Amino acid sequence: MQAIRNFFKTFLLWELLRGMMVTGRYLVRKKFTIEYPEEKAPQSHRFRGLHALRRYPNGEERCIACKLCEAVCPALAITIDSAPREDGTRRTTRYEIDLFKCIYCGFCEESCPVDSIVETRVHEYFMEQRGDNIFTKPQLLAMGDKYEQQIAADRAADAPYR
Amino acid sequence: MAEFRNYTLNFGPQHPAAHGVLRLVLEMEGEVVRRADPHVGLLHRATEKLAESKPFNQSIPYMDRLDYVSMMCNEHAYVMAIERLLGLEVPIRAQYIRVMFDEITRILNHLMNVGTHALDVGAMAVMLYMFREREELMDVYEAVSGARMHAAYYRVGGVYRDLPNRMPQYQPSKYRSEADLKRLNEARQGSLLDFIEDFFDRFPKLIDEYETLLTDNRIWKQRLVGVGVVSPERALQMGMSGPMLRGSGIEWDLRKKQPYEVYDRLDFDIPVGVNGDCYDRYLVRINEMRQSTRIIKQCVQWLRENPGPVMADNHKVTPPSREQMKDDMESLIHHFKLFTEGYSVPPGEVYAAIEHPKGEFGIYLVSDGANKPYRVKIRASGFAHLSAMDEMARGHMLADVVAIIGTQDIVFGEIDR
Amino acid sequence: MNAKVDEQNPDLVTITVDGVEMQVPKGSMIIEATDAADIDVPRFCYHKKLSIAASCRMCLVETEIGGRPAPKPMPACATPVADGMKVFTNSPKALAAQRGVMEFLLINHPLDCPVCDQGGECELQDLAMGYGRSVSRFTEGKRIFDDENLGPLIDSEMTRCIHCTRCVRFLQEVGGQKELAGIGRGEHTMITTYVREGIKSELSGNVIDLCPVGALVSKPFHYRARAWELLSHAAIAPHDSVGSNLWLHHRRGEVMRSVPRENESINEVWISDRDRFSYTAMYSEERLQRPLIKRDGQWAEVDWEEALTFAVSGLRRVLEADGGEALGTLVSPTATLEEMHLLVKLVRGLGSDNIDHRLRRGDFRDGERAPMLGLPIAALENLDKALVIGSDLRSELPMLNHRLRKASLKGGQVSFLNPREFELNFDAMQLAAAPQRLVRELALVAQAVADASGKALPDAVNALAGGESASEEHHVLASRLVGGERAAVLVGALAEAHPDGSVLRALAAVIAELAGATYGDLPSAANSVGGWIAGTLPRQGGLNARAMLEQPRKAYVLFNVEPEDDCWNSAAATAAVESADFVVALTPFVSDRAKAYADVLLPIGTFGETSGTYVNLEGRWQSFGGIAAPVGEARPAWRVLRVLGNLFALEGFDYEESGEVLAELPKAALESERPAWQDVALELQDEGLVRVAGAPIYAVDALVRRSQPLQDMPQSAPAAVHVGSAVAEALGLAEGEQARVRQGRAEVVLPVVVDDAVPAGTVWIPAALAGARGLGAMVGGITVERA
Repeated sequence: MQAIRNFFKTFLLWELLRGMMVTGRYLVRKKFTIEYPEEKAPQSHRFRGLHALRRYPNGEERCIACKLCEAVCPALAITIDSAPREDGTRRTTRYEIDLFKCIYCGFCEESCPVDSIVETRVHEYFMEQRGDNIFTKPQLLAMGDKYEQQIAADRAADAPYR
Repeated sequence: MAEFRNYTLNFGPQHPAAHGVLRLVLEMEGEVVRRADPHVGLLHRATEKLAESKPFNQSIPYMDRLDYVSMMCNEHAYVMAIERLLGLEVPIRAQYIRVMFDEITRILNHLMNVGTHALDVGAMAVMLYMFREREELMDVYEAVSGARMHAAYYRVGGVYRDLPNRMPQYQPSKYRSEADLKRLNEARQGSLLDFIEDFFDRFPKLIDEYETLLTDNRIWKQRLVGVGVVSPERALQMGMSGPMLRGSGIEWDLRKKQPYEVYDRLDFDIPVGVNGDCYDRYLVRINEMRQSTRIIKQCVQWLRENPGPVMADNHKVTPPSREQMKDDMESLIHHFKLFTEGYSVPPGEVYAAIEHPKGEFGIYLVSDGANKPYRVKIRASGFAHLSAMDEMARGHMLADVVAIIGTQDIVFGEIDR
Repeated sequence: MNAKVDEQNPDLVTITVDGVEMQVPKGSMIIEATDAADIDVPRFCYHKKLSIAASCRMCLVETEIGGRPAPKPMPACATPVADGMKVFTNSPKALAAQRGVMEFLLINHPLDCPVCDQGGECELQDLAMGYGRSVSRFTEGKRIFDDENLGPLIDSEMTRCIHCTRCVRFLQEVGGQKELAGIGRGEHTMITTYVREGIKSELSGNVIDLCPVGALVSKPFHYRARAWELLSHAAIAPHDSVGSNLWLHHRRGEVMRSVPRENESINEVWISDRDRFSYTAMYSEERLQRPLIKRDGQWAEVDWEEALTFAVSGLRRVLEADGGEALGTLVSPTATLEEMHLLVKLVRGLGSDNIDHRLRRGDFRDGERAPMLGLPIAALENLDKALVIGSDLRSELPMLNHRLRKASLKGGQVSFLNPREFELNFDAMQLAAAPQRLVRELALVAQAVADASGKALPDAVNALAGGESASEEHHVLASRLVGGERAAVLVGALAEAHPDGSVLRALAAVIAELAGATYGDLPSAANSVGGWIAGTLPRQGGLNARAMLEQPRKAYVLFNVEPEDDCWNSAAATAAVESADFVVALTPFVSDRAKAYADVLLPIGTFGETSGTYVNLEGRWQSFGGIAAPVGEARPAWRVLRVLGNLFALEGFDYEESGEVLAELPKAALESERPAWQDVALELQDEGLVRVAGAPIYAVDALVRRSQPLQDMPQSAPAAVHVGSAVAEALGLAEGEQARVRQGRAEVVLPVVVDDAVPAGTVWIPAALAGARGLGAMVGGITVERA
């Protein structure tokens, strides 16, 4: 009996038809395509994208050049030079991230004792010129200024977990 | 009959069916492969040597990049090796989280493997469907670690952060009606665990769909059945593991044989093949996805009921919480030292292996008591499998080589490391 | 360690540490035994070179004597060993005690790690990780102290202090001056200076290394780098002939700091501030970045090839017109052996013999005799009698001064015979005499020594006494030299600068002979001795350093020499180089002065940028590698000389590395020999005032002169006319007034400092300072009048 059924199934392309039914169902179903870039997939508040340096609400940069991020960076992507500023505080004179080296592991953010260096949700960026991959301190601070609201909200949302 | 001359065919390293940078030098006799000589090393990044120059923790992100379709499993073997040398107890909740993500990773890997395997032998739709599911699982990755692939989530002593209690949602856009948006976000209303549970409620049906498309399909079977047969004896001799070994009928799974984390508390079966051909290995993988679904559901259940710490409370190894670090001297010192110098691991050597989606993935770690490993040896299952390429492909047609590459689940990240 | 009990040796006792039996010297402390056996005992206040304070209590261990456990844990650093004692360094009780102490130490420690320079190399961090709790229980507020300005070298952050008192003990016991002390009690204990005037010791930088926390940190290094970023390479200090061993720490090719490298036989674990902070000059604004040539009176930056061709053609012009005689070559005594050897080869190849490195020497009449200490540096601290002639030892050779100080603390008698008194940091007799009387005084000392030792004095010496006889003072001094088991007579830089230096050396040798003491020279610069090995000396009848400036040459090659500061006679040197037709200066630094006299300025690497070898005053060869990337287009000097040799088409200039140069030099050790007696007429016969000068501690060479932190130290006071009150009164001068001083035609106006350490007939005007430029001989007649 089974043999006869199999014979007919083979003869009638039964399994192929069943497969076509599956694809056919999806043919008429609503597409699951996301119209990127106008529409975006949901993004976690833990997302690790492009870096930013944050400031305190009074405008003072948070970074104190402790260099923990530089030390913990597995890819050696961060370069920091530090010196005393005129007011005697410890500050960076240079803070650069080589975006070609960076592996976006998030260790810099984990290590930062003052929540200065963070990885934002920004993942859409590009470089046009050789050398653009070096993300400099003014650029990092500008990133921080631009996205501060979201950065702060994301850190607050994740605070109980860290 | 016309006389054929043997000739040599270069397959890859830039070939869409070569799965990365595999270069095969094939000695052909007409359409028949006489000898297959895989060349490796084009993706060599010296991960083992790099690990020797960094504090233990800093190599975790590099482990993601070994087998880059089963990221967290690689991390798992590495952190487990260190934990064993340290004699560090991992909180039970962290163990469940790890097991859950190991299984999610297994499904991610098998979806990728079976999908591209089907694509290689000519079935387009399966790959598209499987990648759709991968998207959702990668959302799970992202929700928990912040990265869709290279998670760096497992840490020595547990996992970095507990599971979030909310999932990110789709934002309104002109392409979505409100009802549509509501439908998309339906599973995302609750916590990550809700999302996972919802997904795995649906997933068995989706596996059925894949099977409908492939399992009985005559083209699929014609391409797979009887191709690349490995006898159980040879499979053992050649050091195969994972689906490659189980496809040949040997019931070997580290999750059962050498249970790590909480696998001994979970209920699941090991699918085993009979003939040792590509088709059986495909069936094993499909069934492993079903078993993983079972495991994940048990984990979700347990994790819902048992909140607790996810990181060992030993601040000589694991960093203190950020709140502590900011107002307590001892914690600040430990934070500072752990992120600069790291911790020192007692001298000794250890081999920690896990049942990786591709087989046995092991880290052999030698410590001389310093804050960096003295030696890290990565036992990548794919390396042993690839070395069987010659034996498996010999006598088959050129087109079967593609099927064999697919069934071996080659990922060059781990082979070349 | 040999566990078998040595019955024969009553000075050893047997103790058991953590179950391991060991024999240790009687009277030693537990911590010395554990350190020798490589057993970790945490500590903050204990330091093997300092006295024991037992103030931090970190080294608490559990002990047991005769089967009876001590009731409380005992500090390992202050508990002497006893026979049969059992020590447990990591028993639960010991660990609990250590953890408790750690918790107390952290109670008041500020949360500064991220901004603290010590972070990453902090003993407090390390021990907190190793022995402390991991979470704090302390919730109250922390106490805070104000910081103090400790001077240009040391930055303080006293809130971080844990009161180990290492700095206090160091400055008192090694520095020799009580400059820091603890005040207050309990929580309010703080370390402070006595009258808030900073730290002045020439060894002060060592407190930075000693401080286990970040309370005392280096000011020039402040906030510049982290310990883990730095690569460390062995180097040799370039400023004095002791040849202190250093680690140079560099980051990406830039030297960030210099710290001592332990070498018990040279610098122990210390270095002087001069060696520690001079690296800052490597990045001074005066660094010559690229070659400069003067074409038609205009300076132009050119590439190396053009500059070298220009130099070669300029020198050729002079050599072809006037021969090798017309060329004079002055070599800095801080040049490496390799550089000196190549210069000798180059100069001789050009047919000239006017080459010398003895820039600050006044008397060349005693010919060739390498200046050597004659005994190992470490042996100095075991001297029981020593006489130092003509040396401001503390400025010239701070590490040797430290050794003599140790000798003095052990009961040794040290005496000085100098043209003025100096501020010493240990007990010693000081005899000061005007320079023109120095020979006579020394002859009188010889008389007294002869009396004391009962030996006959050569007539020639008696003649030098000029008919005087030894006074009470001389006899006291003689008694402090004669009769010792280990005695030494040491002759320093002020004697070298003396125009009758050869007589002083000969007399010193006679005294050493009479007293049964070792005769030793104290050459000042890093490679003063090396010059004798490489042969930067006019050995074939050429002119010496003094002569080639007093008889101006047509052309000069200046190797890292600033003639106005580095030469014995600043006025003559300046005049000679300014009147020369062609001057090639190989120098790391450029100044308006150099631009005024030089025709080519070739940038060469400084210390840290050049590989090479120094020979110290014991005759010890110490090689080092090039560490930092030379600034700008500067190149290691041996490479420049090699190319110059090639451009002159001289044979044997095809070196690939500096080691090949070194291989050409004779390896035989120099013998230290006593100066032989020779009858010479005294040159310094002035009856009037005589100037005497030494190079101040932070002005000895071009590098230190450009180290800003060192220039801000009190030792770097601007040039002044120092006279005794009698002389001041006679001349009608008062402190702070301006005086016009004349040496020959040279004339400058300087402020007056009345200082009774300067004897009658003497005017002390330091050399190598901006204000003293253009004055005449370092030791020579002078006139002073009110300006």
